[in-house]
Amino acid sequence: MAYSEKVLDHYENPRNVGSMDKNDPSVATGMVGAPACGDVMKLQLKISADGIIEDAKFKTYGCGSAIASSSLVTEWVKGKSIEEAGKIKNTDIAEELALPPVKIHCSILAEDAIKAAIEDYKSKQGK
Amino acid sequence: MNYFQLFGIEASFDVDLQNLSSNYQTLQKAVHPDKFAHASEQEQRIAVQKSAHINDAYQTIKQPLLRADYILVQRGVDMPNEQHSFSDTGFLMHQMELREMLEDVKSASDVDAALLEVQRVLSSEYLQLTQLMRVQISENNSASNSAACDNLRKLKFYQKLNIEVDRLEDSLFED
Repeated sequence: MAYSEKVLDHYENPRNVGSMDKNDPSVATGMVGAPACGDVMKLQLKISADGIIEDAKFKTYGCGSAIASSSLVTEWVKGKSIEEAGKIKNTDIAEELALPPVKIHCSILAEDAIKAAIEDYKSKQGK
Repeated sequence: MNYFQLFGIEASFDVDLQNLSSNYQTLQKAVHPDKFAHASEQEQRIAVQKSAHINDAYQTIKQPLLRADYILVQRGVDMPNEQHSFSDTGFLMHQMELREMLEDVKSASDVDAALLEVQRVLSSEYLQLTQLMRVQISENNSASNSAACDNLRKLKFYQKLNIEVDRLEDSLFED
């Protein structure tokens, strides 16, 4: 299957790969996985006191589309508030990367990773 | 007739694979194309369809994860969509560690030992989860069925890891 140029670009030069300290109260961690393909995705956001995403890192084990989706998301969320980041839809990701229908679930995974990270942040703040 | 009935065996996760295989061969012989060489076109077509059906049934019951999936679906358990994200953070963190462990094999000082260690860890965790799922399937109540479903989804991550291990093994020892 042919990947789009944007997917290849993110796959070959992934942005913001890495990890942050998950125990840091300003770091939100979103872990999601797709049983269908065994992909595992970790998205971490460093969030300022006023709710702005200052930094984002990801680590994904999966196909090119899953890596590209998470890489793209780290670029998109930086500088956004958590409310804005929570509005990113999988369809935006799929459209930007020109994902074929069979790879739409990779963009869903990336959207779910953002949501899971925001959930984690909220539960940390609630403590 | 469901796949288990087709082979005349009990619908259970515990399957005697030798018995299954011999039943499979008996069934396939009955629909072998040689037997239909002089039959009408329609009879030949039906025989081919039956053969394909028997084959599907065999592959499903033979493989533990497909078998578990089939049993749970037959029971009408509401299976979450395959594409649906899984979000058990603790489990996924561990999956990530296992993938990192696998990634480090190539650069290990003793590659053989590192690979063996990964295989040992994976097979022991796979067996443990399978055993848990087996018990839950045999309990067959709504709580145990849904727990079995959850473990089946977890096992699929191990299945994927095992494919990666095989791929790594091939690439390490191909020359």
